Amino acid sequence: MSTTPANGWSQQDSEAVIRATDEKLRDALSSDVPPGLTTEEAARLRRTLLDALPREAAQGARRLCHVFATDRERLREAEAKQRTRLAREASAVERLSLHLRVQHMILFSSCILLIITGLPIKFHESAVSGAVMSLFGGPSVTGFLHRAGAVGLTLIGLYHIFYSVAFRSGRRDFGLLIPKLQDAKDALRQILYFIGRRKERPLYGRFSYIEKFDYWAVYWGMVVMISSGFILWFKEAAINGFGKSIYDIAREAHSDEALLATLAIVIWHFYNVHFNPKRFPGSLTWWNGKITVDEFKEEHPLEYEEWRLSGKVAGEQEAAGEAPPGDNA
Amino acid sequence: MMRRLPDIAGGIPRRGASVLVLGLVALFVAGAVWGQEDTRCLDCHGKPGFKKVLPSGRTLDLFVEPTLLRLSVHKDKHCVDCHADVNEVPHKEIPQKVNCRKCHYQGNTEGAPQTGRYLEFDNSVHGKALKAGNPKAPACQDCHGDHFILPGSDPRSNVSRSNIPQVCGGCHLQIYGQYRESIHGKAMASGVKDAPVCTDCHGEHTIARPEDRTSSVNPGRVANTCAKCHAKVVIMKKYGINSEQVATYEESFHGIANEFGVLKAANCASCHTAHDILPPDDPRSTVNPKNIPKTCGKCHPGANANFAKGRIHIDAKDPSAGIVYWVALGFKVLTVSTLLGLFLHIGLDLFRQIRTRKEKDGGNGKTGEERS
Repeated sequence: MSTTPANGWSQQDSEAVIRATDEKLRDALSSDVPPGLTTEEAARLRRTLLDALPREAAQGARRLCHVFATDRERLREAEAKQRTRLAREASAVERLSLHLRVQHMILFSSCILLIITGLPIKFHESAVSGAVMSLFGGPSVTGFLHRAGAVGLTLIGLYHIFYSVAFRSGRRDFGLLIPKLQDAKDALRQILYFIGRRKERPLYGRFSYIEKFDYWAVYWGMVVMISSGFILWFKEAAINGFGKSIYDIAREAHSDEALLATLAIVIWHFYNVHFNPKRFPGSLTWWNGKITVDEFKEEHPLEYEEWRLSGKVAGEQEAAGEAPPGDNA
Repeated sequence: MMRRLPDIAGGIPRRGASVLVLGLVALFVAGAVWGQEDTRCLDCHGKPGFKKVLPSGRTLDLFVEPTLLRLSVHKDKHCVDCHADVNEVPHKEIPQKVNCRKCHYQGNTEGAPQTGRYLEFDNSVHGKALKAGNPKAPACQDCHGDHFILPGSDPRSNVSRSNIPQVCGGCHLQIYGQYRESIHGKAMASGVKDAPVCTDCHGEHTIARPEDRTSSVNPGRVANTCAKCHAKVVIMKKYGINSEQVATYEESFHGIANEFGVLKAANCASCHTAHDILPPDDPRSTVNPKNIPKTCGKCHPGANANFAKGRIHIDAKDPSAGIVYWVALGFKVLTVSTLLGLFLHIGLDLFRQIRTRKEKDGGNGKTGEERS
């Protein structure tokens, strides 16, 4: 028994040991040599008992493990999934160029700063607002940071316009972002797909109607926020030029659009890139610009097809090396 | 009082008599002497025209109308109860200024009101100045009067609301002049009970400098002080004044900055002034359209006539706000409809994903992790 490996220790074995030793147990543990046993027998018995304890414990732990990981098949499945994921990631291609990513990073950094320093003004009655204000060091610091964020947002907005005109990739993307009748059809088909009235999702090119909506929502938001923001910033000049009403309109628009934009980002954009079960806890595309070939084929099939035809992506398993949309001016 | 008895009553035996006899005699004598004592003061002070020319050339009118004290809250008091340093007739020294604190302190047994106001006064701007030895600082009697002290609820009282402006104006002459010309002062003079007097904004015994953060006229608290009346629909309705002005101020950038502690941000008084508040249609008013550029220009250098184009107090929820109302409404509709659309889209997406997963689960008994 003592030579049997731990994993061979069965319920019956342990019960047998317990049965066999039950009567003599107390004596065996209380004296060196229980009555009716030789010294060797007593020593062996003691060894057996001491050995049995950790084995039983190991058995129990294994049984517990089985409760959580019900069968090996599941484990294997998970491992396979992990492998697939790694393979997919290895096959990822860079769909968004560094140029775009940096623009996006500056945009969202400015936006976060603007939202954190701006919302306390809109929700000034809230205790949280006062706490945020104090955290930054008071209204004057918060005001300065808000203006700093405004400069960041304005500059990146202007740069993006420049990018959309001066860079080939910018011009191409801008052209592809212009809403077309096809987008309305796609949206309708996507909804029909959602409710199960169509088997397949519509086939999207570089930008689906969702991405176009996001882009133009930001465009609209930037135009409203920047123009109204500058009226508020340079209020004396604005009022001197156009009357006090322009300030009131700008104030209202700035405040309302701020809320709309914040909600749209927190609800819609965060759903698309973070909370969507497909993406959770988040896509890293903003950082490395990469998309897996599977996702690429599924979400931008027409663009993928274009890439395949032009040789930018070779096949499923091959990682399409460096094939970002060109940044050539 | 009692300690002065022997001086006047001379030979009355104070020792060796029974306590009862002493008590009765003392009461009788005291009554007689108290009555006499005022009489003795009034021998001089009760003569109309009794006065003294000070070395400075100033004439001091020392006549006291005896019935005044009897009609006041101190009707049971006698001259020397307050003028305690007078102990001979005629007195050689000019008596000290009366110290009301002899009776007026919290916990007194003299029957003076038990109130925290005595201490409040010590912390007020007047009390501090008095303590610091400023000879011009007012003590109790400078506001409440001397011999004819009445409760504030009595219209004849120095400190009744309608008399307060004159009382404060006794020292704050220039401000009194401004106040009298202001809409508040004029309303008060014409008998409008709701109109504020000095103490309604500045407080009474708690009165403090505007720089003092506890002051009701501190820049951080002015809006609250004005709101005491101007946010009350019941009061404002009577005079056809908008009761939302404080609320709209609090929603304005000025109000929000003020709320967050930026005291240089405009408060009510920054534009409307403190003492010479006038309605906007008065050409002298700081908020008359003609004067708006100058008023705004105090903080916004270079403000021109366009500052007067458009309303100052804006309530975006009120259609009278004009285009601002429509902008706000437009954004409300836009926000609600956009969010509804986005939520619907997200909901449908999730619905489809869950269904696809279930189908896969049902199909081959495995969890469907594949992308739909």
